[in-house]
Order: sequence, then structure tokens, then C-alpha cells
Amino acid sequence: MESVWIDLLVVFLKIIVILAVALGVGAYLTWVERKVAAHIQRRPGPMVVGWHGLLQPIADGLKLITKEDLFPRYGNRFLYNLALVLALVPATLVFAVVPFGPEFEVFGYKVKPILTDVNVGILLVFGLGSLAVYAIALAGWASNSKYPLIGSMRKAGVIISYEVAITFAVMGPLILAGTLSTYEIVQSQIEQKLWYVWVQPIAFVVYMFSLLAETGRIPFDIQEAEAELVTGFTVEYGGMKFGIFPLVEWYIEVLTLSAIGVVLFLGGWSPINIPFVGFVDPLFFLGPLSPYVWFLLKVTALFLFILWLHWTLPRYRIDQITEIAWKVMLPLALFNIVITSIIAPLIW
Amino acid sequence: MPWAKEKDFIDLKERFSGLEIKELENSTSLHIEKGKLIELLSILKEEKGYKLFLDHSVVDLKEVLEKEKDWRSLTSSGLVAFPEDRSSRFQAFYILYNVEERKKVIVKTRTDGTLPSIEKLWFAGKWAEREAYDMFGIRYEGHDNLVRAFLWETYPYFPLRKDFPLEGIPEMDLPSLNEVFLGDPLEGTMNYERKHTLVPTLEDLEITEKKRLKKKAQIVLNWGPLHPGTHGTMWFLFDLEGERIVQCDVILGQLHRGVEKLAENEMYNQFLVYTDRMDYISALCSNQAWVVAVERMLGIEDLVPEKAKYIRTMMSELQRINSHLLWLGTYALDLGAITIFLYAFKEREKIMDIIEGITGARLTISYPRVGGVRMDLPEGALEVIKAFIRRFPKELSDWERILTRNRIWLRRNKEVGVLTPEEAYYFGATGPVIRGSGIPYDVRKFEPYDAYGEVEFDVPVGEIGDCYDRYLVRIEEMRQSVRIIEQCVKKLEKLPKDAPFFAEVPKERKVKLTLDGIGLKVPVGEIYSSGENPRGELGFYILSTGGTKPYRVKIRPPSFYNLSAYPHLMRNRVVADAVAILASIDPVVGETDR
Repeated sequence: MESVWIDLLVVFLKIIVILAVALGVGAYLTWVERKVAAHIQRRPGPMVVGWHGLLQPIADGLKLITKEDLFPRYGNRFLYNLALVLALVPATLVFAVVPFGPEFEVFGYKVKPILTDVNVGILLVFGLGSLAVYAIALAGWASNSKYPLIGSMRKAGVIISYEVAITFAVMGPLILAGTLSTYEIVQSQIEQKLWYVWVQPIAFVVYMFSLLAETGRIPFDIQEAEAELVTGFTVEYGGMKFGIFPLVEWYIEVLTLSAIGVVLFLGGWSPINIPFVGFVDPLFFLGPLSPYVWFLLKVTALFLFILWLHWTLPRYRIDQITEIAWKVMLPLALFNIVITSIIAPLIW
Repeated sequence: MPWAKEKDFIDLKERFSGLEIKELENSTSLHIEKGKLIELLSILKEEKGYKLFLDHSVVDLKEVLEKEKDWRSLTSSGLVAFPEDRSSRFQAFYILYNVEERKKVIVKTRTDGTLPSIEKLWFAGKWAEREAYDMFGIRYEGHDNLVRAFLWETYPYFPLRKDFPLEGIPEMDLPSLNEVFLGDPLEGTMNYERKHTLVPTLEDLEITEKKRLKKKAQIVLNWGPLHPGTHGTMWFLFDLEGERIVQCDVILGQLHRGVEKLAENEMYNQFLVYTDRMDYISALCSNQAWVVAVERMLGIEDLVPEKAKYIRTMMSELQRINSHLLWLGTYALDLGAITIFLYAFKEREKIMDIIEGITGARLTISYPRVGGVRMDLPEGALEVIKAFIRRFPKELSDWERILTRNRIWLRRNKEVGVLTPEEAYYFGATGPVIRGSGIPYDVRKFEPYDAYGEVEFDVPVGEIGDCYDRYLVRIEEMRQSVRIIEQCVKKLEKLPKDAPFFAEVPKERKVKLTLDGIGLKVPVGEIYSSGENPRGELGFYILSTGGTKPYRVKIRPPSFYNLSAYPHLMRNRVVADAVAILASIDPVVGETDR
């Protein structure tokens, strides 16, 4: 009986830590993005609120929260608000299956730094990811306006195309790992002394493309497309309600999908990999903290890479995006699955 | 000179009985009756090669008809078609250009209120006719959809007619908000006039919208008037089938200020400041086009000192780079490349600073004057410009490295918005738009003004006329502008410091030319003179009855005619292409609406 309470307490603590980290980091990523964008564009970025604008996210949050709550006439208020919940909840839920590090012991109690190590973790990620399309479709529909409708239809088209590609892309690593559990996938990469990116480069590229498309980052940010649709499906949202959509799409989703990408392809919390030989850890002096730092570093690197793309490239057109998904990415992913499933059993 | 000669049209005299050919100092015009107008125009287009439609409008002769003295001076100098006809109130003119032989001609006819439509010959004419209908109330027979160009549909007056007062007709009750909401009668506090000229109501705007477009597909999307993608206040109507645009129309006029009406009531130098406010991104080029037009009319183009000519050329080219940078930044922004926008604006800021240092103003500049420039270059100006043009080409190649060969950029621009050469003529396109279609029409080369005849530069042309070609043309134009500026700087450095920058007219010419331009009288005559703006050919048709103020000024706005191709280019395109095509046409609303 006692162990159940301890289990519950541990899960509760994990939830608090993960939610605090995810949402807090999500908010501060806006600052990171603004600083990175600013330096790419040869300007200082936020400098006024706090040291180098460090308090800017808080000021922005306050501003958004204190704004008037506007609602479009003839809109559907229930669906309008439901869209927000449907956007925020699934995106945050994905953190439940992100493993942050190896198992450790506290007072003789074994703790895995992952909320729930379900054995269908990856399936859960993409299931929840697909829910995002409902949020956007509802947001566009409930606003009862033309621009949001066009924006949400575009986004729905993109997500449906890339869901297929991304699901087939992750099949490769899954075949190699032989499991759907995110924790086990990292473990098997460590045991096989191999980051899957070395043998699954095609899958990684497809995954990165799909990541950009699903999160609506440039070059795939057509659902926002300031110039044509004036931020698309969020046109009729105001205040913090408006703030939540970019927070979810641009930061939380990018963060979760980068983390899943790290888990699938870059060996999770393992240090630098030399294929089939072993791992080199230049951060050995950090002791037991080193895996967490490695995980964080890899996610940050992916995130910064996405930012770099976002602030450099122009944007595709909707038909070109879906064309790439169906004509290039999907065949590539399928080819990758075939090759992997032929070769993998021969080696392992 | 760039005008056609009488001998070019001798053979037409046999085919058209009433045809008169007038070869004047500043223009060559064909006078024809209204009934034979379409036939003559189509022969000029098909057989004589006058394919490029420059401008069409109407002159209201009411005041001249009433004043015997003016009428005699106009008719004796051959400016009025059919002087024996004293009942027809309007004189219509069509300005055409022959690009192969580099010749212009004006076709004139008289009317009392109706004209045949030239829509079949030039689509641009359709828009010009809308404008003439809007401003003068001319009815066009055979026009497909004769609606007002700038004003709303229920507006009852025709403002450019001579009997319409300059200040408008105050007839609408327009109480202040304090009166309506607070019950404050405002008595004794200020001399508040409650009567206002007409203002469109929402119903009026709805009628205007309904008249433009009959819905054929699923939804009509109002794109604008306040929309970041429209680069100003333009109102587009997209009839959408999904995201595909089935038909499209443009409602202009949100920025209409009646510049042409103002021009008739201002002195020549006073009107200069209005040219700033037309194409506010390339004010110096518009200024230059206007002063050159007036100088040509006065016949003092040769008297303008070399230094002034080189300064004007150099400043105009700086302004051209400035304008193209704004275009590049917003174009990239529209296609999602946000960073280029800031890069371009950083360089643009430097140009603005240079211009500010030289002229004292950043946006509305009014630096050139009829006869020269307002003041000499300040100390060190040339060094600053030299430093800028040394660095600028490097920056430009940096941006090109991001964009020109970028796959996404290519896919968004290649084969999008293709304007063939024939279509470019048909829509009256000029500037980078016509050059993108492969026709090397550049006023700076074809009719050099100021120092353009003496500097070396190339005219870049595109191959197929899509957005990508227009992009490349504008990028290359910036390089050529740098080349021109280099040559101007070299020349200006050689000139002595105390060289004159303002013309001195010999006494016997009897032209009172001063820096402020007060009392400047322009002789009886007409001219169509144009300059190459960053957006295309900015032309001024000036008709003078010999006073301090022009009788009629028709401005040929380049982006107005370039924009007339937009509904055609948008057909069967998706909304995402709307921004690409619009930005590649690069209209400025201050100029389309005037």
C-alpha cells in the first residue's frame, strides 16, 4: 500500500516539474527566438525590460493577459474556446513520454526521468500530434471569418500530408530498436553503440521536414503567412488566447518534436557517438548530471537549427508543400522502410 | 527628338478624309473625328507599330471656350482639334509609343460627352477610360464595365470638370463626435463648419463593391483596403474557388486626393511638392520628371547647367536604389524571408541619411527646381556617396546569395505571373514590368533627359516575364544605378566648386526664372514629357494657355497601368501568389490614386 502512495507522489512531482519546465521554457523560448532572430538580422533585439530583455516574456505575458477579450460576432463561442484547449493539451501531453535521462535511485527508490514509460510511446506522440489538426480546424471554423478559414484549411492539409510522412519516417528507427517505448529506444541505441541518425539519414531528413511542417515554421508557415492571411487562423483571437497558439505551435510543439527527434535519432541522453565503437563524453566531469546536459544540448541544437531556418528562408506555397509531402517525402520514407527491413535483420 | 514626323502619316491622309497632322515644337498630334477614332487607333497599333499605350484622358475646354482670347491663342497654335467646332466641350487625347522606332504621337478628338471605348485595343485604355468617366463623366460606348475608378459609385459629381469648385461642394452634415455623444454644441469655442463635402457611407462602398464583381465562385474575399500584403490602401476583390482565384478586381481611390485638380490651381513650382506626394517612395525621380517637363516646355532644357543635371541624375539614381530596396524588402517579406527585409532597410536607411544630408528632407524632398536644383551639394556629400556605393554592391551580392538560387525562391517566382511581351503592350506596362517581359523600354535610354544621355549604363531585360525575371531586372537595375552614380560622382568632382547649379536665362528669352519660381510664365503649348521612375514611366501631359498656372495636367502614373495587368495575372492563381505577383508589380498607392 505504501509503495502506491510513493508512486503517486513521484508521478505528481514529475508532472509538476515537467509542466513547469515545459511551459516556463516555452515562454522563455520566445525570448530566445527574438534574440536569435535579432542577431541574424543584425539588430540587438529586446533590450529594455530587464538585463538584455530577460524579463520581456513576463512583460509580454502580462500584456496579453490584461488585454480585452474580443470575440467575433456570429462566432461559435464554445468551439472558439474548445480550440484553445485542444491546441494546448495534446501538445503538452507529449512531454509525458519524453525521457530526459537514465534511471536513477533516490533513497533506494528507482526513478525513471520520464512521466509514463508506456510501451506505445511513439504511437502516443503521433496520435496526440494529429489532434492538433482539430484545434486548428475548429479555431478557423469557430471564428466565422474568411481568413481564419483559409488558414485552417491550409494547415489541415499540411498536417494530414505530413502525418503520413512522419509516421513512415520513424518506422526505420523503430525497426532497429524493436520497441515503441521512447525510453527503450534510447536504451537500445546505447546498447548498440549507435545513434540511429548514422544509419537512418533519410528518415532523419524526412523527420526534420515534417517537424517544420507540423509546427508551421518557415518554410512551411503557410497557415500564418502574415503577408497574405495576416496570421491565418488566429486572426480573430485576442489577448492571451492569441498568445497560446504561437506558444503551442512554435515553441511547445517544436520542443516536443525536437525531443522526440533526439530520442529517435540522436541517442537521447547519450554523449557523442562513434558508430559501433562507443561513446565519448567530453562532459564527464559533470558526473551524473552529464546525460541531462547532453539531452538538453541536443534539443537546443535542433531548436536553434529550426530557428536558423525560420529566419533565413522564404516560404513555400500550399500546393508545393503537399506536393513535397506526397511526391518526395513519402516515397523516400517508404524506400527507407524497405531498405531497413531488409538489411536490419541481416545485421542484428 | 522622340516625336513622330508628319511624313510618317502622309499615307493615312488618303484613308481618313478628315485627318489633320499637326507637328508642333513639343508634340506631334493627329486630329480625327470621333467616328473614325477606333479605326485610326487600330491602324496605328497594327500597321504603324504604335503598340505601347501610354495615356488617355480628356481636357475640359469649358473655360477656353468662354474666353475668346485663350481660344484664339490655343487654336492658332494648333492645340485644339477641329477649331471650327465650338460646341463640343471636351478634347480627348491618346498618347501612343512606337518602341521599335522610338517615336511618340498624340491622337486627338473632340466630344461633348461620349467616346468609343478602346478596351479591345488596349486593356490599359479600359482603366484610363474609367478614370476619365470618373473625373469628367465621359460615357464610353462599348466599355465592358464602366464604373468609377477612384470615387465611389453613388458620387454625383465629376470633379475634374472646370465647373467643379476646387474646395468641393459642402453639403453633408458631419457633426463632431463631441456633438453626437456628449451633446456639446461647440458654440462659441470654435468656428466649426458642420457642412462637409460628401463622404462615402458603408452602403455606398457596398454598392461600389457589388458593381465591380459578379460573384461566380464560392466566396468573395475582400483583400484590403487595410491589409499588409497590399502595400498601401488598395482594395482587392478575389472570387475564390477553394484557394484558386476565379476572377479578381481592384477598387482604387482610398488615397485619391485630386492631384490633377490641384495642379490646375497651382503655379508650376508650387506643384512640385505634390509630385513628392504621388510616388512617395521615389520623390526625387518624380520631381525630376516634373521639372524636366516644365523646362522642355519653356525651351530652357539646354540652359540648365551641367552641374545641376549631374546632381539631379545622381540623386534620382540614389532614390531608385532606395525605392528598389523597399521593393526588395517587402517582396521578400511577402514571400516569408523576413530577414532580407531588415537587411534591405538597413541599407535604405543609409541612403535616406545621405539624401537628408544633401537636401534636408527624407521622404518628400522637392530638391530639383525648374532650371536646376535648390542648392549646391554640401561639403563632403560626394565622399559619403562614394563610401556608400563602394559597400553597397557587396551587400547586394550577399542578399542575392540567400535568394536568387534558393530553391524555395525559385519555386515561388518562376512561371508565376507570366506577362508576355504582347500582353505587356496590351496592359500598358512600363518600367521593370515591361523590361521583365523582354522589351528594353527605358525612358532614360529612349528619350534621355538630364545627364542620362552622357552616362553609360545597361538596360537589363527578362526572358519570359515572370515574377523571377522582374526580380532579376530590379536587382540588376540597382547595380546599374550604382554605375551611374559612380560616373556622376567622377564628373561632379571634376567640376569647379563654384560652378552654377541654377540656370540663367538670357534677357531676350523673356522667361522669369527664379529659385522660388514665383511668376514663372509658361508659353501657350502642350507637352507630354516623361521620366523613368523606379516603377515605370511617369509622364506629364501639360496643356498651357500661357499663364502662371497650367490649364490641364494629366499625370501618367506608371503603377496605375502596371496594376491593370494584375486581375489578368491573378486568374487561376492561388491566394499565395497574390502577394508575389502584386509585389513584383510594385505599385505605390499614392501614385495610382493621386
